[in-house]
Amino acid sequence: MKKRWNRIKTFFSKPYNVLLVLFIVVLGFLVVLPLFSIVRDTFIVHSSEKSRIHQAVGTFTTYHWNRLFLSEFRKSLLIDPLRNSLLTSAWACVVSIFVGGSFAWLVSRSDMRWKKFLTKLFIFPYIMPSWTLALAWKNFFKNVEITGSNGIFHSLTGLTVPTWFAYGEFPIIVVTGLHYAPFAYILIGGILHNMDANLEEAAVILKTKRLRMFWRITIPIVMPAVLSTIILVFSGAMASFATPQFLGLPVRYYVLTTELYASINGTNPGVGYILAMIMIVISVIIMFVNQRLIGSRKSYATVTGKSANISIFHLGIWRTPISILVFFVVMCMSVIPLVTFALESLLAYTGVYDFNNLTLSFWIGRAQGHDTWQSEPGILRNREVYRTLWNSLKLSFVCSLGAGTLGFLAGYSIVRRRGSFISRLVEDLTFIPYLIPSMALSAIYLSMFSSKHGIIPSLYGSFAILALIGTVKYLPMASRSGVNSMLQLSPEIEEAGIVMGVPWVKRMTRIIIPIEKTTIVSGYLLPFISAMRELSLFVILVTANNRILTTLLLFYDEKGYTQFSNAVNLLIIIVVLLINFTVEKLTGASIEKGVGG
Amino acid sequence: MPTIKLVNVTKQFGKGSLAVDKLNMEIKNGEFVSLLGPSGCGKTTTLRMIAGLETPTEGEIYFDDVCVFSDEKGINLSPDKRNIGFLFQNYALWPHMTVRKNISFGLENMKWPKDQIEARVDEICKTMRIEEYKDRYPAELSGGQQQRVAIARTLAPNPKVLLMDEPLSNLDAKLRNDMRAELKRLHLNTGSTFVYVTHDQSEAMTLSTKVALIKLGILQQYCPPLQLYGEPNNIFCADFMGNPSMNFVECHGKKEGDKIILNTKRFICEFTPNEPIDVPEENEYVLGIRPEFVNVSNDGLTATVISSLPSGMETTLSVAIDDIVLSAVAFGSIDFAMDSEVKINFSGNRYVLFDKASTNKLTLGSLKVIQ
Repeated sequence: MKKRWNRIKTFFSKPYNVLLVLFIVVLGFLVVLPLFSIVRDTFIVHSSEKSRIHQAVGTFTTYHWNRLFLSEFRKSLLIDPLRNSLLTSAWACVVSIFVGGSFAWLVSRSDMRWKKFLTKLFIFPYIMPSWTLALAWKNFFKNVEITGSNGIFHSLTGLTVPTWFAYGEFPIIVVTGLHYAPFAYILIGGILHNMDANLEEAAVILKTKRLRMFWRITIPIVMPAVLSTIILVFSGAMASFATPQFLGLPVRYYVLTTELYASINGTNPGVGYILAMIMIVISVIIMFVNQRLIGSRKSYATVTGKSANISIFHLGIWRTPISILVFFVVMCMSVIPLVTFALESLLAYTGVYDFNNLTLSFWIGRAQGHDTWQSEPGILRNREVYRTLWNSLKLSFVCSLGAGTLGFLAGYSIVRRRGSFISRLVEDLTFIPYLIPSMALSAIYLSMFSSKHGIIPSLYGSFAILALIGTVKYLPMASRSGVNSMLQLSPEIEEAGIVMGVPWVKRMTRIIIPIEKTTIVSGYLLPFISAMRELSLFVILVTANNRILTTLLLFYDEKGYTQFSNAVNLLIIIVVLLINFTVEKLTGASIEKGVGG
Repeated sequence: MPTIKLVNVTKQFGKGSLAVDKLNMEIKNGEFVSLLGPSGCGKTTTLRMIAGLETPTEGEIYFDDVCVFSDEKGINLSPDKRNIGFLFQNYALWPHMTVRKNISFGLENMKWPKDQIEARVDEICKTMRIEEYKDRYPAELSGGQQQRVAIARTLAPNPKVLLMDEPLSNLDAKLRNDMRAELKRLHLNTGSTFVYVTHDQSEAMTLSTKVALIKLGILQQYCPPLQLYGEPNNIFCADFMGNPSMNFVECHGKKEGDKIILNTKRFICEFTPNEPIDVPEENEYVLGIRPEFVNVSNDGLTATVISSLPSGMETTLSVAIDDIVLSAVAFGSIDFAMDSEVKINFSGNRYVLFDKASTNKLTLGSLKVIQ
């Protein structure tokens, strides 16, 4: 008995063991418990469903499952959104790999012009919020049939854009694909760039023809990067909410996320919870496939080497035309969207692209009453805008503080006890939020914290629930970077402190944190920027009281206040770019390097 | 089987950095030539220029009488037309192909019939002792096995010239020794011309029929290894070859008939050139003494033992005559007490006399201590 007690005492005398136990308790509450809570929620009656189920709130029912899988609404509630989600995600992969992969090849293997400049701009869509391109598309191609006014394209050419081109499937695919193209570029380009030139030289010496070499050597070697791009883009596209919301909704084109949003905001949250579970299942399957692919026999770890002299492919007479084409595409992805936002926010009447129609009213004008063309004050005068901006910054700050700190501590304790069961358990627990699509996670939190039961408080409508879910969602990101940085730091460095009798807190603050300064900063930076431009994670949980900038944008867009939504969007982008730029300058850590996390 | 000839080959990277400077050398048919030198001396660049992977800035390269590169005539034969094999330092095995596929890939390119390819793969795998790994992927092999697969892949098409870029540097010491013997055997069996890049002087010594020692892009000496060891052209060559390295003693020399009296400040000795040479009456010299020619015996100069490192077969000593420190090798299992006194003397006629100003070798000769 005494022995066991001593053993427990020794166990808890190590700070990292205390941390690990704390993590298990907290994550169990914040990550595991909600998973059960959502299952329960698919079987009960919610308050907004009283009128359709005619049973008391909280009683057991199979209504939701029946409705989703067996009723006549099956097609519109489940089959179509599921099909649309899978289809748009798959094609988005194709687009992003084609665009990003070609760009990667041109940059690393050809003599294309203006490489440095183009790569900087090409990364842009990744830093900007995911709906940037969607809104720009709308500004450019919207047609009078659906929105009541035509876009920039019409005013330039006089042509009316067909609806299939302006809304729904096609633009969702293109926009999502372009948004993730930088991903493909970074992953594929990374391999192409680091790929050992000897591998190709060896093939040249063995008399391999150029085309055969491309197909048999180059392509197979970049294949792992292509696969991981597919996984990332596919799961990203599956989880994306803003793009299908902006481009699909006008033509009633639903994907899983938008259907989920509609159900939970509408009169049947139970169905929404089931959809959330379906999304989690799909995401787990993708992860599983990914694991299988990575674990194959052909290890590519040996691929990289010193590639002092990669043979550059000369584009010949195509050099200038290709460079110009790429320049054009890159401009469309990065600069032109911003121009359209600025332009649209200055139009007195939407759809009229005339110099006389420009006004700063939507930025700095006063409100003119309800039924006028400007029902609200310009966004720089608008107290609501400042309030949401402040809310956004506060939320991002809290989330990054929470995720960054917990991530660092998790990384520290996981690495110190590496190989043990408890450490692996914590590592897996911190990874779970990554598996759950944002929208599904917020559905889970909604179900869990909507009312007080047992030890769980009611947090709906509070700032705390937003902070909580942001912290949990970005924890995988931060803890991964924590683990990676701690792995590079040999335990001897801390042990040297232990031997000299330095207490734990001092070891952390005086030894480990100073050494890991830059990685810790980027551990805070990534959640901050992500939270700043996050919509799908918060949109279900936000109420009028705790609105943030991104949901304000959605609110304006849904109301059809084009000028306001464009102005707010520009505001978000400027804030994100400013923060990214400042931190990059200050620490050298950049968001591009965090890709893949 | 070709003889490779390099004429005034120069390679410049960017502005002002000469990797290889006016290199002239001839690699005869069937030779095993090592390109040796410290890192960054241009040896790998030279090899890659022979292969055609690197384009020289100036000069000409011939395979027999066929010009494969000439900047003047505008000829630059691509690597696949030069009939060479190239062994890369990091093996460059294709990670997505099995061992079998790695080896047969090149043969397929050459449109060999299927059954011949199979036979050749089997044969070469047997020679390289990798038969049981034929269906494995490179990542599933150890370093030594990967190395053998790389050799098999390179040898499979029977190249007439085999170019190797530090192929053993990624192996551990024991494996490296085994592979050296194997390479030497391979050279004999294939009868091909081998050109071998290394920075390891003992590897060059033990393997090659001829060594080309390069420093900063300039060829220092090109001759059989033992000659390079025994009769180095200059102090750099002398210093680069041998371990422990040669002792260099600065001295002032006065001519006395056909002998030279060398004054080292600590002792005076008489140097007798093996062949009569023409030197000024007085001159500053550097005397080069290989450790094995410093004899530890019962008479001669008194020296203090600074360190003694017995390795069983021989013992490497550092002895000091006042501030002149010499390394010496005593054969057999003996140890010397630190700080003890020993006597040393010189015998034989393998002592090298360098001119201090130019660092060039003047002659070899014998040495007798006078005082």
